[in-house]
Amino acid sequence: MTQSKRNFRTIDLTIGALFVGLMAIGANIAIWMPFLKVSIGSATVPISLQTFFATLAGLLLGKRLGAFSMFVYICVGCVGVPVFAEMTGGIGQLASPTGGFIISFIFVAWAAGYIVEKQQSSSYLTYAIAALAGLMMNYIIGTNFLYIALNTWMELSISYSAAWQSMIPFFIKDFALAFFVASLAKVLVTRVQLSKASYIA
Amino acid sequence: MSNSFIIGQYVPGSSIVHRLDPRTKITIIFFFVIIIFFANNLLSYGVLAFFALLSMFTTKIKISYILKGLKPVWFIVIFTFILHLLVTKDGEVLFSIFSFEVYSGALYKGLEISLRFTLLILMTSLLTLTTTPISITDGVESMLNPLRKIHFPVHELALMMSISLRFIPTLMQETEKISKAQASRGVDFRTGKMKERIKAVVPLLVPLFVSAFKRAEELAMAMEARGYNGGEGRTKFRELKLQRVDAFIFIFSALILVVFFFTRV
Repeated sequence: MTQSKRNFRTIDLTIGALFVGLMAIGANIAIWMPFLKVSIGSATVPISLQTFFATLAGLLLGKRLGAFSMFVYICVGCVGVPVFAEMTGGIGQLASPTGGFIISFIFVAWAAGYIVEKQQSSSYLTYAIAALAGLMMNYIIGTNFLYIALNTWMELSISYSAAWQSMIPFFIKDFALAFFVASLAKVLVTRVQLSKASYIA
Repeated sequence: MSNSFIIGQYVPGSSIVHRLDPRTKITIIFFFVIIIFFANNLLSYGVLAFFALLSMFTTKIKISYILKGLKPVWFIVIFTFILHLLVTKDGEVLFSIFSFEVYSGALYKGLEISLRFTLLILMTSLLTLTTTPISITDGVESMLNPLRKIHFPVHELALMMSISLRFIPTLMQETEKISKAQASRGVDFRTGKMKERIKAVVPLLVPLFVSAFKRAEELAMAMEARGYNGGEGRTKFRELKLQRVDAFIFIFSALILVVFFFTRV
């Protein structure tokens, strides 16, 4: 009776929720795999697989559920569970200049899901395009947010190009990573589908 | 670690702030975050700082513990402060180091932004320090309820949040287990080029994803077997109720708000 009114099937809800947990792991993967730390100069930057997992959410769950589960991930982080990168949490994270990158995951998942649903194929090329589209979303939203954050509530007048320039080293790293993501995603999707996960979108 | 994860930053206690309804706390913090951008002189900042410090002391949580929670933010605060000294060029020159001049306006602006940001983070972290994630979720669900009219899936959001709160520690333990199991089978995580090391995550992620999907399937089946049929007509185990103390705190906060708008220039 209420079946037709429901937004999501029960399995959609549980899978989306599990993806929130996977995102928390992807954000902090360097804890279990310390070798994923890259040293740039004197500082070591742990690689985070957040963009990768957000892209996967789009690929495996489709654009609607994928984006919604990323929204849930952000909500879980906002209520204080340390699911964001470097085991942080709390709504204050969204107010910090890099908060836009967290918000962008919703759109990363949506874009990746959109491309896969449109292409109807599971080739490496499709995944590469989806991963790159996700990456674009990530940086366009994240960097604009950074620029707006710095210029409004931080009241620093940083030029728009300077905001983008500061992102270049990270972008190069993530651009290279996007191609790995695509090949990883291909392996993962086939394996997960093999394990009788017939309910995948 | 897994246990501390579900609780998040929550510190158990019985202070007034702990006993407040989560909706009261969320509303107050929501307004605080907005009005902090309207503060424009020392006195108005003083009123807000007074309110934040008063709330901080009434929680009866150790100050050192609260400050420790703010640690990731110090970097941003100091970074913005220094950037302000470098970029902003208002007012008169205070002093110069190596032909680099520090302006008075820059110093004030830098201090103002640092104070604003610290207050912002302090207040929001008080919410998560005194409220469990589950009760914040309940509060959010009840506050978002009107959005159901425009078909926003409020019930689904709250349910997914609760499920993931339950499963995050489980998945983390599983990650730990799988990485040890794969290492014992001889998967080399440590050596090789970055490219090879990144490839080594495949034997970790594949079992992790497969098991996560399996868990999700089992859970969905268990829920449907018990008659779960969406949010319609579902009753709740934990019910929220506004107490007298909530009304009192609301009135007190409203008074602070009035005082605040009188102190502005």
